[in-house]
Amino acid sequence: MESLYLLIPLSAVLVLIIIAVFGWAVHRGQFEELDYEAERILTDETPPVDQRQSRISAGAEES
Amino acid sequence: MATVTASAIPLDANLHVLDDPVEFGGCTRWLQAASGQPLAETTLALSGLHCAACSGLIEHALQRVAGVQQATVSAASERATVLWDPALTRPSALIAAVRAAGYDAVPDVAAPARALRRQAHRKALWRLFVASFAAMQVMMLATPSYVAGPGELAPDLRQLLNWGSWLITLPVMAFSAGPFFQGAWVAMRTRRIGMDVPVALGIAITFIASTGATFSPDGVFGHEVYFDSLTMFVSFLLGARYLELRARHRAAEALEGSLARLPETAWRIGPDGDATAVSLQRLRAGDLVRVPLGQAFPADGLLEEGHTRADEALLTGESEPVDKPVGAAVVAGSTNLGAPVLMRVQRVGGDTRLQAIVAMMKSASAQRPAAALLADRWAAPFLWTVLLIAAGAAAVWSFIDPTRAVWVAVAVLIVTCPCALSLAAPATLVAAASGLARRGVLLQRLDALERLARVQQVFLDKTGTLTEDHLQLRGLRLTEAGRAVFNSEDAALAHAASLGAWSSHPVAQALVSAVPAAAGLPVVWSAVEEVAGRGLKALGSDGREWRLGAAGWVTEATGAEFEDRADATDGSGGDDGADEGESRLHLACNGRLLANFQLEETLRPGTLQALQALRDDGLHLTLLTGDAPGRAQALAQRLQVTDWHAHATPEDKLAAIAQAQQAGRKVAMVGDGVNDAPVLARADVSLAMGQGALVARGQADAVITSNDLGDLVRARRTALRAVRIVRQNMLWAATYNATSIPLAVAGLLPPWAAGLGMALSSLLVIGNALRAAR
Amino acid sequence: MASTAVTGTQGAGPLGTGAQSADAQSTAVYTDATVRLFTLAAVVWGVVGMLVGVIIAAQLTWPELNFGISWLSYGRLRPLHTNAVIFAFGGCTLFACSYHVVQRTCQTRLFAPKLALFTFWGWQLVILAAAISLPLGYTQGKEYAELEWPIDLLIAVVWVSYAVVFFGTIGIRKVRHIYVANWFFGAFILAVALLHIVNSAAIPAGPFKSYSAYAGVQDAMIQWWYGHNAVGFFLTAGFLGMMYYFIPKQAERPIYSYRLSIVHFWALIFTYMWAGPHHLHYTALPDWVQSVGMVFSLVLLAPSWGGMINGIMTLSGAWHKLRDDPILKFLIVSLSFYGMSTFEGPMMSIKTVNALSHYTDWTVGHVHSGALGWVGLISMGSLYYLIPRLFGQKQMYSVKAIEVHFWVATVGIVLYIAAMWIAGVMQGLMWRAVNPDGTLVYSFVESVKATFPYYVVRLVGGLLYLSGMLIMAWNTVMTVRNGSPTEVRIPVPGATPAHA
Repeated sequence: MESLYLLIPLSAVLVLIIIAVFGWAVHRGQFEELDYEAERILTDETPPVDQRQSRISAGAEES
Repeated sequence: MATVTASAIPLDANLHVLDDPVEFGGCTRWLQAASGQPLAETTLALSGLHCAACSGLIEHALQRVAGVQQATVSAASERATVLWDPALTRPSALIAAVRAAGYDAVPDVAAPARALRRQAHRKALWRLFVASFAAMQVMMLATPSYVAGPGELAPDLRQLLNWGSWLITLPVMAFSAGPFFQGAWVAMRTRRIGMDVPVALGIAITFIASTGATFSPDGVFGHEVYFDSLTMFVSFLLGARYLELRARHRAAEALEGSLARLPETAWRIGPDGDATAVSLQRLRAGDLVRVPLGQAFPADGLLEEGHTRADEALLTGESEPVDKPVGAAVVAGSTNLGAPVLMRVQRVGGDTRLQAIVAMMKSASAQRPAAALLADRWAAPFLWTVLLIAAGAAAVWSFIDPTRAVWVAVAVLIVTCPCALSLAAPATLVAAASGLARRGVLLQRLDALERLARVQQVFLDKTGTLTEDHLQLRGLRLTEAGRAVFNSEDAALAHAASLGAWSSHPVAQALVSAVPAAAGLPVVWSAVEEVAGRGLKALGSDGREWRLGAAGWVTEATGAEFEDRADATDGSGGDDGADEGESRLHLACNGRLLANFQLEETLRPGTLQALQALRDDGLHLTLLTGDAPGRAQALAQRLQVTDWHAHATPEDKLAAIAQAQQAGRKVAMVGDGVNDAPVLARADVSLAMGQGALVARGQADAVITSNDLGDLVRARRTALRAVRIVRQNMLWAATYNATSIPLAVAGLLPPWAAGLGMALSSLLVIGNALRAAR
Repeated sequence: MASTAVTGTQGAGPLGTGAQSADAQSTAVYTDATVRLFTLAAVVWGVVGMLVGVIIAAQLTWPELNFGISWLSYGRLRPLHTNAVIFAFGGCTLFACSYHVVQRTCQTRLFAPKLALFTFWGWQLVILAAAISLPLGYTQGKEYAELEWPIDLLIAVVWVSYAVVFFGTIGIRKVRHIYVANWFFGAFILAVALLHIVNSAAIPAGPFKSYSAYAGVQDAMIQWWYGHNAVGFFLTAGFLGMMYYFIPKQAERPIYSYRLSIVHFWALIFTYMWAGPHHLHYTALPDWVQSVGMVFSLVLLAPSWGGMINGIMTLSGAWHKLRDDPILKFLIVSLSFYGMSTFEGPMMSIKTVNALSHYTDWTVGHVHSGALGWVGLISMGSLYYLIPRLFGQKQMYSVKAIEVHFWVATVGIVLYIAAMWIAGVMQGLMWRAVNPDGTLVYSFVESVKATFPYYVVRLVGGLLYLSGMLIMAWNTVMTVRNGSPTEVRIPVPGATPAHA
C-alpha cells in the first residue's frame, strides 16, 4: 500500500500545521466572547454613520 | 450590617480623582507608540448596556474624545479597552464621554487578575486541543494494527504507521503534558508525592518504550506501541483540569463583579477651609477630612466636629450603631450614619484597624493545618506498589523468556496508568462545585469540599451571618393614654412611623418598614428635630409636640415614671437594652407616654431549620460574636445554641478556633465581616455570606451568594455525597488495576486492550462523577 | 427585513471627526463586481449542468439518445455533467458567496480586487475548456478529476489566486474576530488546493494526454482520498460556510450555538481525511484499509449532525418564518437533506451494507440526495438572498416564483432519490440472488430491464429540478433588468484598524 508512504507523512505534517493554527487562534482571542460575535453579523449592516443620522432625523432606532 | 458604598457625590465632583495616577494605575497598562511617546491602555467596566448596538455607540463616543487612539468595547463582558495619549486626555474625560452617551463606566480594577486568568485559560485550551486532536489522529493511525488480521499488515507499513504516531505524539509530550512533568518535578523536590508523580512516570515510560518499539522493533522494548493510550490518557486528564479551571475562574469572576466601583475618595479640608476630593491613598496623618452622611470613614482618627453614629458591624460585629460624640475614635471602614462630621486622621492605609485585621488574616492562613487530599495520600503507596510489581514481573520473565521481560514490565506500568485514580477526585469535585454554583454557593477552592465533609464543629458569626441588617418590630403596646388617642395599634404604628421616617437610624427605619403599605393617612410634621442619642421630636398638625425615642427623654416634659424599665434606644449602646436583646422605642405627646415599641434582630429566613439540620447531622454549633452579651444570649436562646461567646474581638475568635483545632476537631467558620476574616483564614473550611465584606468573601473557601443558611446544609450534604462518590471511583480504579495487572504480568495484554480498558474505566469514573452535580 | 445600507451613486462626505484612514484602502465601498459576475455565472451554469444531467438521464433510459455521435455519448457527457454541476455551478456559487461573506464579516474590501476578477475569468476559462475537452474525449479517467493536465495547471493557478485573495482579505480585516463561516471557507480552499495538487500529479505525454503519477490500487486509494475529501471539503465545508452566514442573515437570528459551530468545524476537519477507503470496499484495496475507512466514516456522523442541528435550531422560537419565507425554506430544508445524506453515507460505508449497494443506483441516489438536496438547495437559497442585494433590490423580482421553485425542486428531489433507492436495492438483490446450485438467478441484462421504469421516474425528477432552475434563471433576469449594480458602504469601525 505504497500510497500510504505519501498520505501518512502528509497527514502528520498537516496535523502539526493545524495545531499551530489553533494555537494562533486561541492566543488571538478568536474563541472568546462567542455570543457577541454570533450577533455581530446581524447588526453591522447599518454603519454607525447612518445610525447617527437616523437618530437625528427619525428618533432613536435601537433594537 | 450596612454595605459600604460610595455615597451619591455629584457626578463630576470627584471624577478628577480618577486622574490621579495612583488611582488609575491599577487598571492601566503603559505602552509605547511608534513615535516613542507613552500611551496608556485603560480598562473600564461599563454598565447600562442593553442591546447589541450599545457597544458600538460607546466605542464611537470614546473615539470622539481627542487623544483617544483606539477604543474597543466587549459587549459580552461589558468592558471597554481604551488606548489614549496622556498628553492629550485624562481618564475622567473618558468616563465623562461614556456618561454623556447615556451609560456609565468605572475603572476596572479587576483587569490584571482577569488578564492572568485569560492567559491561563488560553494556554489550558491549547494544551487540551493539541492533546485531543493528536489523540484522534493517533487513534486513526493505530486502528489498522487493531483491525488487520495476522500477516495482513506488512512490517514496513506497520513501521510507517508507528512512525506517524510517534511524530504526532511529540507535541503532546513536549507541550500538552508539561503540567504533569512540572508538577512531578516540584513534588520530587519537596518530597511530597502527589498524583502528578505516577502520572508523569507513566507517560514518560510509555513514550520511551513505544519510541523504542517504533525505531527498533526487535529491541528490548518489543514491537508494541501505546501512543494511542498515551495521547488519550493525557487528553482525559487535561480535560478534567480544564473543567476545573473554568469552574474556578467562573467563581472568581462572579465575586470580582463587586470590585468595580469608583475610586474611594475623601474630602480633605485645605488650610483655606475648602474641601477637595482626593484619592484615599493620598491621605496623611493629621489631615482634616469631612465625612458626609452615609459614607465610610476613610481612615482611623478622632472626631473633631459634629456628633454622629457609626455602623461598625463589619469590623466588630456590634449590631447597634455606636454613638460618636466629639473626640470619639472612629475606625476606617465603618459607616457614618448620623450626620456629616469632620475628623482628624490619625492612621492611614496599612496602619488602620482594618488593615491590621487583614494582616492577621494573612498570617492565620499561613498557619492553617495542612489537609492532604484523599487522592494524594494514595499516590505514594500506589506508585511504589506498581514499581515493585513491574520489577518483579521483569525479574520473573527474565528467566522464562528474556526477550519479553522489559516489554512485560512496560505493559504493567502502562496498564496501571493512574487515569481513573487521578480523574476520580477532580472530576467529582468539579461536578459537585458546578452543582453548588447553580444553587448559589460559589466554591473558590475545590478541595474545600473534602474538608467540609469532615467538619465536626461549626463556628457561626452573628451579625450579618445569622441575622439580617435590619431590626424588626416584635411587639407594640399602647398605654391607657395611648388607647384614648389611637383607635388601634396599627394607627399608633402608622403615626409613629411617619415621624420615624425622618431619621436614618436603624431602629426608626425598622418602625417604618413594619407599617403595611395600605396604612392610613400620612401625617404632616413640622419643626422636626433629631436629637443625637435621644430621638426625634416634631410638631404635629394639631400643634402639639410629639417625641419618638428613648424612654426618659420622651416623657421629659412631664417627668413621668412608667411601668417599664428605662432602656437604651437611640444608639447610646447602653447595656440595659442589650441585656434583654432587644430595642425599645417610645412614643409620647406633650410628655405623655402613648406607646411602646419592641424591636429585635431579624433572623435570616430559614436559619432555625438550617441550624437544627446541622445539629441533626451531628455537628457541634458555636456562636461567636463581637456583639454585646445580652443580644448574643437572646439570639442563642432563640436558636437553641448552648455554646456562645460575646464581645469577641477578632483575636478572641481566632483563639476559640485554635483551641478547637488543638483539641483535634475539624472546624468550619461561617462569617461575613472584616472581623471574621482572620478566623475564616484559620478554619479548616470557611464560608462567607454573599453580602459580606470584600475581604471576608475573598478569603473564604466558599461564598453563599444566596445568603441562605439552608445552602450551608446543602453544601455539606453535597460534600458528603461527593466524598462518597470519590471513594467509589477510587474503588473502581483499584478494581480495574487489580484485574489488569495479572493480565499484564502474564504477558496477555495487547495495546488495544490496554487503551480500551483505560478509556472505558475513565469514562465510567467521569460518568459516576457527574452524579455529584445533582 | 432590514435592508442594507444601500446608497445611490453619490456618497456622503468623509465620516465623523475622530475617524482616520491610515491605509491606502480608504474608499468606503465593498468590491462586489466580481461577486455579481460569479452569481450570474452560477445561475447560468446551474441550468447548463442540470440540462446535461437531464440529457444523460434520458440516455440511460433510452440509449438511442446517444445518436451514435461520439461527443454526445453518455460516457463523455457524464463527466461533463458532474464537472458542470460541481465545479461550474457549485464552484461559482462558492466563489460568489465566499467573496461576499468574507468582505461583510471582515468589514473590508477584497484584497487585490483585480486578482479576484482574474479568478472569475480564469474559472470561466476552466469551465469552457472542460465543456470542450470532455465531450471530445480527453480525460484522465479519475472521478471528479477528469480534466487533462493543461486544465489542471490552470485550475492550480486560479486556485492559488483564490487563496491569495481570500486569505489576504482576512489579513486586512477590520474586525478582530474571524467569523466561523470564514474558517469553513478557508479550510475548503486549502484542502482543495492540497487534494488537487496531490491527486492530479501526472506525467504529460502530449498536449492533451497524461498518465497518473500513481498506478493501480495505489492510484485508486489516492483517487478516493481525493474524491471523498472533495465531497467533504468542496461540497460540504464550503457550503457549510455559506449556511453559517446566510441562515442567520435570512432568519435575522444568530446561529443557535456559536460555540457548537466552532467545535463542529474542528471535529469535521480532522475526521474527514480517513473516510476515503469506503469507496473501495471489496476491491483490491487491503481489507484493513477498508475497515479503517468504514470506522471513520461512522465517526463522521457525529460532527455532521452537530452542524445540521445547529443550523436548523437557529429557527428555534421563530418557526413561523418558514411559512412565509421561501428562501428560508430552501436553506432549512437543505439542512435536512444534509442530515439525511450524512446518515445514509456512514450506513452505506458499513461493509455489509456496501456489499449490497456498491455499483448500484443506490450510490447514485445517495450522491443526488446530497447534491440536489443539500448543495443545490443551499446554493439556491443563498443566491436568492444575494442577487437582489447586488442589484439594489430588496428582494427577487417574484417571491412567488421562489416559492414555486422550491416546491418543484423538492418534488423533483424526492422522485429522484426514491426511484434510485428502489432501483439500487433491487439491483443489489438481483445481482446477489443465487440458485441452490450456485448459479446466478438473474442475468445482468435482466436487472437492467427491471430498472427501466425507475430511470423514467428519475428522469421526471430531474426534469422537475431543471425546471425549477429555469424558473430561477428567469427570476434572476427580471431582477437584474429591474435593478442596477449598487455600491454598498463599508461601516467605519473607528480610527485604527485592529490587526490580526
